[in-house]
Amino acid sequence: MSRELLAPEGLRVDGRRPPELRRLLTRVGLFAVADGSAYVELGNTKCLAAVYGPKEPRTQSAQLHDRAVINVEYNVASFSSGERKSRTRRDKRLLEIASVIKRTFEPVVMTATFPRSEIDIYIQILQLDGGALHAAINASCLAMIDAGIPMSDYVVACSAGFASGTALLDLNYIEESAETPALTVAMLPKSGKLTMLNMESRLHLDHFKDVLDLATEGCKSLAESLDEAVRKACKTPRPI
Amino acid sequence: MSTKVLPGQRLGTTAEFRAGSGTYVRDGFVHAAVVGHRTLVRPGESADPAGAAPGAGAAAAAGADAAVPPTLAVVRDRHATAVPEIGSIIIGKVARVNPRLASLNIMVVGTTPCTETFQGVIRVQDVRATEKDKVQIYRSFRPGDVVRARVISLGDAKSYFLSTAENELGVVFAQSMAGYTMVPISWEEMVCPKTKVIEFRKCAKPPQQ
Repeated sequence: MSRELLAPEGLRVDGRRPPELRRLLTRVGLFAVADGSAYVELGNTKCLAAVYGPKEPRTQSAQLHDRAVINVEYNVASFSSGERKSRTRRDKRLLEIASVIKRTFEPVVMTATFPRSEIDIYIQILQLDGGALHAAINASCLAMIDAGIPMSDYVVACSAGFASGTALLDLNYIEESAETPALTVAMLPKSGKLTMLNMESRLHLDHFKDVLDLATEGCKSLAESLDEAVRKACKTPRPI
Repeated sequence: MSTKVLPGQRLGTTAEFRAGSGTYVRDGFVHAAVVGHRTLVRPGESADPAGAAPGAGAAAAAGADAAVPPTLAVVRDRHATAVPEIGSIIIGKVARVNPRLASLNIMVVGTTPCTETFQGVIRVQDVRATEKDKVQIYRSFRPGDVVRARVISLGDAKSYFLSTAENELGVVFAQSMAGYTMVPISWEEMVCPKTKVIEFRKCAKPPQQ
């Protein structure tokens, strides 16, 4: 199975080389209603993120007296992948991903600046071609910056997998669904710290370092692109 | 000149600067936490961009003595939300009154309109500074009045505590029973220009031109 993922010429199913990212396209500040919003396109994976807050919590019981609460709602459109799937809001898988994203941002966002308030992140995957989690984190990061929520650094995420004896960067849907061991990391590019490391399959420890190194390299390269996107968004004046 | 900075960017050392709003300290360096302009604030100045021109603070700080390090702040172009803080002047609309307090919907904090309203209450003892025991809420505020007040405490879980115990604070706009905008004639009275009915309010002193 995994032999097909890397052709003898060293090219992957979509024609990329193993340490190559997909094309990244970003837009910052799409919605006037949301405090911050961003759109990230990573190859054929398309993701929208909107950030509301810091604001008064909807329910008084949800607030913390010393810091802000981050709520994440992660949704995958039913038309996003090949076979049509209707998912409910209560889908355990979606809730788990939302909680992963929430825990990724909690140590980075300076929540202590906004006691007794909440920050809502709404994520919508419009098209799914693998790497939904890291596209969602990158989109949320841009939306958080657009909303002006203080963060100690960018949060940049990237995935890497292992197939045919080679570490592959930024897996697409075919590679992900071929039971390739995949690792998603979220990194703070300035300090090099990891805020999230997610792997749901087995990978031999000998290969783990290569895959992790490749994923962090991918994060660094994505960080530059996101940095550029924010700089570009700063230059274009926006209506208040 | 002020320069644009991005989150995580290193701005200077803690020996040179103190960390202000929009920044944080890590390993002895001041870093930016939001996208915005790098602004230097000398002790006693305000970081508000509407105040002094952006470059002025930096120029003044360069000539200042090195004993007190200037504060480094990152100021955003647009303020996403205004949140009431202790001491800030707010403008709100009276929603409900009862003998103990008047509840307000806070609509403006300082000069920034809020994207959503906050709840605030003026308790009977916070209406005015003198003769506090003789204050009657019904003779001070009515539902629909627009009130300028100061935040005295973040209050309980539900609402901010507000005070109008200053001359400049109190009702700034009120309509009479007949629906006309009333004119203040004393600290405690407003008159309807059409019906000449006098109603009681805790009037705010108009700001001096």
